[in-house]
Amino acid sequence: MSKITFRIGGVHPDDNKISRNCAIETLPLPPTVYVSMSQHIGAPAKPVVAAGDKVKVGQVIAEPGGFVSAFIHSPVSGTVKGLVERKDLSGKPVQHVEITVEGDEWAEGIDLSDKLVTEIPADKDVILEKIKAGGVVGLGGATFPTHVKLNPAPGKVADCLIINGAECEPYLTSDYRIMVERPDEIVVGAAIMQKVLGCRCVIGVEENKPEAIEALKASVSRLGYPDIEVLSLKKRYPQGGEKQLIDAVLHRQVRSGCLPIDAGAVVQNVATALAVYEAVQKNKPLITNTLTVTGDCLPVEKQHNYLFRIGTPLSFIIEQAGGVPEGAAKLISGGPMMGKAISNTDATTVKGSSSILYLSEESTKRKPQGNCIRCGKCSDACPMGLEPFLLNRLYKAGDLEGLEKNAAQDCIECGCCLYSCPAYIPLLDNIRQAKAQVMGVIRARAAAAKAAAEAVK
Amino acid sequence: MEKLLVSPSPHIHAKTSTSVIMRDVIIALAPAILVSLLFYGWSELLVLGVSVASCVLIEWAITKWMLHRPSTIGDLSAVVTGLLLAMNLPATTPWWIVFIGALVAIGVAKMTFGGLGQNVFNPAITGRVFLLISFPTYMTDWSMPSGFVKSVDAVSGSTPLSALKEALLSGTSIPDFMQANNYTWQTLLTDIGGSVGEISAIALLVGFAYLLVRKVVKIWIPLSIFATVAVISLIFNSIDPAAYTGVLFNLKTGGLILGACFMATDYVTSPMSRTGGIIYGIGIGFIVMMIRYFGSYPEGVSFAILIMNCVVPLLNNWFHQKKYGRN
Repeated sequence: MSKITFRIGGVHPDDNKISRNCAIETLPLPPTVYVSMSQHIGAPAKPVVAAGDKVKVGQVIAEPGGFVSAFIHSPVSGTVKGLVERKDLSGKPVQHVEITVEGDEWAEGIDLSDKLVTEIPADKDVILEKIKAGGVVGLGGATFPTHVKLNPAPGKVADCLIINGAECEPYLTSDYRIMVERPDEIVVGAAIMQKVLGCRCVIGVEENKPEAIEALKASVSRLGYPDIEVLSLKKRYPQGGEKQLIDAVLHRQVRSGCLPIDAGAVVQNVATALAVYEAVQKNKPLITNTLTVTGDCLPVEKQHNYLFRIGTPLSFIIEQAGGVPEGAAKLISGGPMMGKAISNTDATTVKGSSSILYLSEESTKRKPQGNCIRCGKCSDACPMGLEPFLLNRLYKAGDLEGLEKNAAQDCIECGCCLYSCPAYIPLLDNIRQAKAQVMGVIRARAAAAKAAAEAVK
Repeated sequence: MEKLLVSPSPHIHAKTSTSVIMRDVIIALAPAILVSLLFYGWSELLVLGVSVASCVLIEWAITKWMLHRPSTIGDLSAVVTGLLLAMNLPATTPWWIVFIGALVAIGVAKMTFGGLGQNVFNPAITGRVFLLISFPTYMTDWSMPSGFVKSVDAVSGSTPLSALKEALLSGTSIPDFMQANNYTWQTLLTDIGGSVGEISAIALLVGFAYLLVRKVVKIWIPLSIFATVAVISLIFNSIDPAAYTGVLFNLKTGGLILGACFMATDYVTSPMSRTGGIIYGIGIGFIVMMIRYFGSYPEGVSFAILIMNCVVPLLNNWFHQKKYGRN
């Protein structure tokens, strides 16, 4: 059993990887796609197409709206029907490009063959440019533009690239499937990013996925890139949290308020490595991703891992997979610990979509909250070493100073506290609010300091 | 489509709950309760029954008629308090004294502070200490264990600790006392008088092991109590064996095992951090030994826990978790 893991907190939910043996299937094309302009962290992309334009698969339809932003490409060929405002899965209005699908004609220069391209471009800038042009963003959850993350600020150096194959969220199996089915491409993608950063590379996978570990190890030794290692990690949530993974692999902690690069690390997900491979070696932009359809109220024969075109409406996928199953009380996009509840199935898939998860009422409905019995299970579980019971109390008292002193802003929203609470106190709900308030105070203070410094000049 | 639930993450839960934890504590107390029923018989069953029923009833009545809140007896914490209170009382305690103990435990120590989780002092111990001070004659009438069907008031005796205190006051040395009373250092199962919960160390430790396996409690509070008691008795006993009892005697007698494993570990009234818990345990062990060696009471586990309960908020303020990325 692997002992490699992070040092503080953590929980052990049942992994429920029911769909682990469902091979990836290609989802049929929907009649219409809605491509969101906010598929990444940072400024929304600016559309460069208008109603009536004919587009091909892989053609740019939106440009970055700022430094931290990304290109967006058409996932289908057809006619742009227009720019529409639609609700995303949590009901927030977002601008989308609506495209009516006609055929499946790809843009020039995209290599659609299965041939593995192992030769990596020599020039670092060429690679970064291709990753940027391919609209690649982090697919592990945060959707941070990959080219920005791979290009650290001057003076900051990475000494280890960590490829995140932990997939510590219960139920999800899309990362597992690509590791088993496409390990070569992932390893080449990792080698490309390694070349850009000029450091060693560790691919971390939780030990409940032995087939993935074997497949990746075989690829690494077959392809022969130097300084790439596959590491088996203990099964423990949130092993795949960026800060936790750095602690597990490098025994280093990212200082509060700093970025992983300050600890000498860059973390990228396995799905991102695959997207980097496709963008750099095949000129194929990020227009597809893998998504798991799973849940505790869905029979295993109705579970799927789909290769889908980004922009496919959730309702289309649900229909293709046989409809919402009997007994589903909650639909979730993402894992059961950090995913978002879907309030609107008309919402569309985005680059970072990883699952449609159906949970039964029994497994997901919150019980009424009781009194805190001061058992300390929340602090034992918190992987950031915070004291959720205390933050909850300070939040209710409106004590912003106390919240900042007790590091509410360090919360990574992993959900371990509420998961462990025997009294069902909505700890994370309150701490999320507290964190937002404290971040507001910190930002206002920084802005005031900056203004004061400029006034002196 | 039917209505869908929408709520923030996390969407799953560890499936633990306050009542599951309390149920585990009740299971853990079961072996010791069975042993005490075997040794003290019907009168013990009466004490247990009255104690648990009174605790539950009093909590229900207070939430219904005084606080106008939904009943909280479903969390089973009142049952645990009732069991612990009964295990701290002699089997001969009259039912009305047990009821008064329950009234103080639940009514005063728990519900006036706002119910479960809000109290400063361990309710069962508060009830017990109240009775000890108010009704000293009833509370020190320790019967020698007798079989389940035999009447208990046939034999009356004192606990080893109170007999020892009397012997020391009258000038007997410890070795003479041990010989005269036929105590052996290894009497681990049971054969000496005491409150019902005190008589079987093995049954209590089996129950405690269950709590450890179920991860309900952590071992550091009991461990630091036992270690402190052992170290202090070792030092004093090796200086003057005639005046100070030894390590095993102190670990085994009185309510130390019951107190350390089941009452000092009460979530609500013990510190939340490991360092805090260790300091709390050392404090309890130290006060127990000071009372036993130098105090006028023969036994001090209840007082030690109550005194250290007062320090808990301070310890919680003082010691915090080690945070990620902030060293």
